[in-house]
Amino acid sequence: MVNPIYILILSLVIGFLLTIIDKAGRKLSLFFLYGVLSFNVAVMFIWFYQFAFVGRASLMIHTAGFIAPISINLKLGLLEAFVLLLANLAGLMSAMFLFKKLKETHISGLILYLVLIMGVNGLVMTRDLFNMFVFIEILSISTYALISIDENKRSFSAGFKYMIAGGITSTFFLLGIIFIYYFTGNLNLDTVLGNSSMLAMKTGVFSIFLLIVSIFIELKPFPANGWALDVYQAVNSGITSVIAVVNSAAILFVFYKILPLLPDQYLMVFVGAGIVTFLFSNLIGIKQTDPKRLLGYSSIAQMGLVVAAISYTTKLNISQDLVFIMAGGIFINHFLAKAGLFWITGIIKRSEIKDWGILRNNTPLLLLFGVLLFALAGLPPFPGFWAKWEMAKIFVSNNLYVGLAAVLIGSLFEAFYLFRWFGYAIKNERKEESLKPVDFSQLFPVAVFVLITLLTSVWIMIRVYAFDLINFLPVAAVFGMYLLNFLKAKLKAVLAIIVVILYGYSIYPLETALQSLFGIIFVIGSGIMIITTMNRKGKISGFYGFLLMMILSMGNLIIAKSFLSFFLNWEFMTIAAYLLILRGKKGQVPALTFITFSLAGAYLMLAGFGFMPNVLSSNAIINTIGSIEIPLAAMILLLLGFLIKSASFGLHIWIPGAYAEAEDDVTPFFASIFSKTGIFGLLLVAISFIKHSSEFNPFYWLGWLGAISAIVGAFLATFQEDVKKLMAYSSMSQLGYIIASVSLLSHLGWISALYLTLNHFMFKAMIFVAIAGVIHRTGTRQMYKMGGLIKKMPISYITVLIGIIAVSGVPPLSGFGSKWLLYSSMLEKGWYLQAGVFFFASGVSFLYLYRMIHTIFLGQLKYEHQNVKEAPIYFLIPQVIFIMGIMAISMFPNLIIKPLNSIVGNYFASTIMIDGYNVTSSLGHWNGNMVMMVTMGVFIVPLVFLILFNGRTQKVKQFNIVFAAERPESPQTTHFAHNMFSHYYKALGGLTKPRIQNFWNSVSEWSNAIAGLFRQIYTGNGQTYLLHILLYIVVLYIFLGV
Amino acid sequence: MIFSLILGFILLIIGLYGMLTQKNLIKIVIGFSIVDTGTHIIIVSIGYLRGKTAPIIDNAVDLANAAKQVVDPIPSALVLTAIVIGLAVTALMLSFIIKLYHKNRSLSISDYQELKW
Amino acid sequence: MINRIFILLALLGLILMFLPFLKDFDFHDQLGDLSSQYVEGSINDLNSQNVVTSVVVTYRGLDTLGEVTVLFLATAGIGFLLRTKKRSKKSRKSSELLQTASQFLLVLIILTGIYIFLHGHLTPGGGFQGGVLIATAFLLLILADANVEFNHKVLHLVESFSGTFYVLIGFLGLLLLGMNSFLDPTIIPLGSFGKLLSAGAIPVIYSLVGLKVGSELTTILDKMGGE
Repeated sequence: MVNPIYILILSLVIGFLLTIIDKAGRKLSLFFLYGVLSFNVAVMFIWFYQFAFVGRASLMIHTAGFIAPISINLKLGLLEAFVLLLANLAGLMSAMFLFKKLKETHISGLILYLVLIMGVNGLVMTRDLFNMFVFIEILSISTYALISIDENKRSFSAGFKYMIAGGITSTFFLLGIIFIYYFTGNLNLDTVLGNSSMLAMKTGVFSIFLLIVSIFIELKPFPANGWALDVYQAVNSGITSVIAVVNSAAILFVFYKILPLLPDQYLMVFVGAGIVTFLFSNLIGIKQTDPKRLLGYSSIAQMGLVVAAISYTTKLNISQDLVFIMAGGIFINHFLAKAGLFWITGIIKRSEIKDWGILRNNTPLLLLFGVLLFALAGLPPFPGFWAKWEMAKIFVSNNLYVGLAAVLIGSLFEAFYLFRWFGYAIKNERKEESLKPVDFSQLFPVAVFVLITLLTSVWIMIRVYAFDLINFLPVAAVFGMYLLNFLKAKLKAVLAIIVVILYGYSIYPLETALQSLFGIIFVIGSGIMIITTMNRKGKISGFYGFLLMMILSMGNLIIAKSFLSFFLNWEFMTIAAYLLILRGKKGQVPALTFITFSLAGAYLMLAGFGFMPNVLSSNAIINTIGSIEIPLAAMILLLLGFLIKSASFGLHIWIPGAYAEAEDDVTPFFASIFSKTGIFGLLLVAISFIKHSSEFNPFYWLGWLGAISAIVGAFLATFQEDVKKLMAYSSMSQLGYIIASVSLLSHLGWISALYLTLNHFMFKAMIFVAIAGVIHRTGTRQMYKMGGLIKKMPISYITVLIGIIAVSGVPPLSGFGSKWLLYSSMLEKGWYLQAGVFFFASGVSFLYLYRMIHTIFLGQLKYEHQNVKEAPIYFLIPQVIFIMGIMAISMFPNLIIKPLNSIVGNYFASTIMIDGYNVTSSLGHWNGNMVMMVTMGVFIVPLVFLILFNGRTQKVKQFNIVFAAERPESPQTTHFAHNMFSHYYKALGGLTKPRIQNFWNSVSEWSNAIAGLFRQIYTGNGQTYLLHILLYIVVLYIFLGV
Repeated sequence: MIFSLILGFILLIIGLYGMLTQKNLIKIVIGFSIVDTGTHIIIVSIGYLRGKTAPIIDNAVDLANAAKQVVDPIPSALVLTAIVIGLAVTALMLSFIIKLYHKNRSLSISDYQELKW
Repeated sequence: MINRIFILLALLGLILMFLPFLKDFDFHDQLGDLSSQYVEGSINDLNSQNVVTSVVVTYRGLDTLGEVTVLFLATAGIGFLLRTKKRSKKSRKSSELLQTASQFLLVLIILTGIYIFLHGHLTPGGGFQGGVLIATAFLLLILADANVEFNHKVLHLVESFSGTFYVLIGFLGLLLLGMNSFLDPTIIPLGSFGKLLSAGAIPVIYSLVGLKVGSELTTILDKMGGE
């Protein structure tokens, strides 16, 4: 084995000699530089392998022929090797990134870089306090000097501020060391730790505090970190990434090493300070538009979180594995993603995130950017996700609720600004100027780090959590489709259908009928809907991968065996949905709203799952949840999370944008299938609740929420001009029905809930696909610009007609049955008022449904639509399939009522009787088949009459209307369909004022204002920053309360 | 109360006060130097033992009983390192000032606030 | 104004923080275990009169190597920062007296410096002190004539090789005496106590440190003097 001290020797010798070597040419110097850096990586790799996989004991290296504490010693164990492997690798990669710079700059630059990396190695390994000080100075001085690699005023002034701050903190560090020496007579960390009783008094703790707080300030806690932000913003990206990850990693490790000196009861101060840093840095991050400063805030936040995690795990003394997943997960996630993103900012060189549209000119780089950004945002499958999961569990089990809330809110801020940046990169106007071809030397480091990120993620999923292969499918689908990108869209669509069929086949037979019901919706429904997308032309890269990701993760929800697996797939689904919305032409803002709300929901759920016991069963949780009692707090958190997905009132503002701006053939997925995941979640919670009912019944309030959603959604839909928005609000309204009927927690209620679910799935799919066809042909979403399309698009017309009959609940179609069940169950439960609200909402829905079918299909054909044809066949196939479905369950309700009866029978005693086609409840009976027959009869008699005596009608032609000698200025406003319900609007429009929208807007404004206020403390003056540091030390000491 | 220790600490505070109040970059660095000096005095004070001699084993010290007669050698060794490091940092700070002055022709710290928030 | 208040608050806070320590502090009565071991070890194991030197060069040798590295980094850093300087020739000449005296004193100062680092294990002083003294000789030259040009090649060679040999001597310990013997001075016979040739490799290391420090500081003076 190579003695790791050779890293120091080799780096120093080469460092000392480089001035002379350089006389023989820069190539030789570079060869030596890269040689030594690679040597470091190789040594650490060997040792890491030895410790992690061969099981070697950690190595102690003493110097000068004496054993510590007489001499200074170095330690290399698993953790040291892990940190140093990463640090050296980042050092090598950053050097590669800086290749051009290093080729041209002064030789001292190479020397400084080489010795900087050596300093990191020494700092991590040394076990002597004063030696740490020396290595910290080596690290700092080489960093200070390297800051000037780009010779501009900004980096010089940032560097000076950094030196002032660094100089003073190391002074305090030195004082801490010497005071500890005074009390213990020793400088060796392990000896001092062994004699910690000598430091137990007030002055002893004070000495330790000085030591730790100076290291903590090097880790840039809020608000004593202004100098660091300037450095992040001003300095060359290659060097910044070294400062942000390599230096931070080493300093963090020192923090980790010396933290045990502090008695346990004081550790909470650092947990708190870390969390405060995380929350506030991310809050201020939302005001940033310079990508490097933004990443700076994110770096600081992440370091705060790692500090909190380390301090907390040190305090709790929990198992090493958990520490590794929690603190290590956040650390490695930050390390890889931040280095990669800083490098990318160096490649793109745009100092406004708005200008990042240029990134799209380079697809591979865009992909790398995306992966790193998603990793940084803490989404699965990346390490940060698992860390947050464990963190939630640990925080909850120790009642650290405020901490958890702060971490989750901070995460939300972070996700918000990262995704806003992502949105600009994906969607903002593409600049004409093209990106210069990226050097391989700059792309390679980023690619390596992305690869490591992915490998780590897979490793965690397989080795730590032992996930089934099926949980990998959503991600695998993305990669598979990316590899097949060269195929034509149609071929990819066929492939996607095959994948969905195979997937369905592989999870079949499901254990319970409830699972099968949702399986039909999520998997089979999706399979049918993919047909719609076959109308696309060209290659449409990056679509089917994400579509499959969404479908497969929805399927996985049904069969998830643990909460973690459920949550994992939930997040996968959210990511896929976000990316699909972002594909839409004007998708940037709606996608950001969607992901912000979804992640807020996800974090609520994460907190909720934190309260839940770990389940390890071979059954899907939807089947075992009944035996688990969910604590009330968890239940409320989970319900809120699921309500966001089902766009309940108050949490619905993402829905119009997301549905309307997603591509037309994608919206049906959202409206009819994706929205049901929220319902599935509600059922999950409800099943547990009915088995363990508590005093407080959240479902009673949920019922009211459903009712309000139904009525508000209906009103909002009524006054929309945009057909997709109309349908979006209609979905909100319909989901309100389902939420309320789930909340009934009764046999009849749940039958009606499931019935409504299935019904909504089919008619929403039909209508949206038909509307997609119309939009495809007419090129507009504004209803008043359409009209008279009945002749041109008869099949679409019939679909919409059947769809809206099914929605509105008039006989004979399935909607009638669902409404009958709904009202019966409500009355049975005694929810008279709610039933009244729903009744009224159903009335209002007539308004918008009438508006939709009338303005699009009836009336006069627009001149410009003379040559419109029927929707393409790919749009028609799904429509026909769903029509048949609706007709079948309308004609033979038993097909569906009987299975539903048996599903719900598992949870409630049956209250209905099924006799032939007759369903009898306590309130009456319904015979779907009979209703169908009667209605058909009523329909056919007038039809025959009309056909026989139809001769006298005259068709109104386009030019039968004559303007009275004047031409209105904007003719479209005279169209009856324009502002169709203005009279209703006068009466009821007040109800649809965007109060909720305004509420969320002001939440956003307030966050911005607070962030703006807090960032005022960063005045840009080096002296103020120094003052912050001193005050911070004093205040933290007061909090310590020694 | 030990006078040398108090003196070191007073220097530390004076230096900090200078760093916080002086606008001139060079004066700030001077403040830093004073802080450094104060720290060194503190370190040396900690190693002192009353009535003992320097840890150099020459004729003044009884070879057999050396450990009883000398002051603590460790802080002396540490302060040597600390002085050199302080020197290095100060020199580097001054070079930064030279560069800043070249770029901007100003030595006032309030002229270098361009990066903020 | 408000800023002033905060400054005073911060300093007051610091004073209050340090006060208990300052109040309770008193000199130790006797050496701690480790220091006693150092004093005895310096006499018995290392044959070095100057205990501080033993601590600096041997027991805490890694610190000293780091310290030399810091100085080296400062030189490299200043060279890096001031890499694009336009050397403005200043015609300022100092007095005749200084110019003549500096020529004369140069050799004397350098010799004293060399004496100090050669006797670092015997008398007060050592590599750093000697090196600084050597650098002051060159400072005198710069003061006497701002346009003085040093031979950079020689400076670089001394700078590079003194450092390299220092590390290599440490490495020799590793090679000869095993993995825990980086910077072990016993690779060279210890000699007899109190003589110039004693304490093993300590005088060699300290001489190299002296040369290194002298050349580094001279380079720094040269660089900054040019501005």
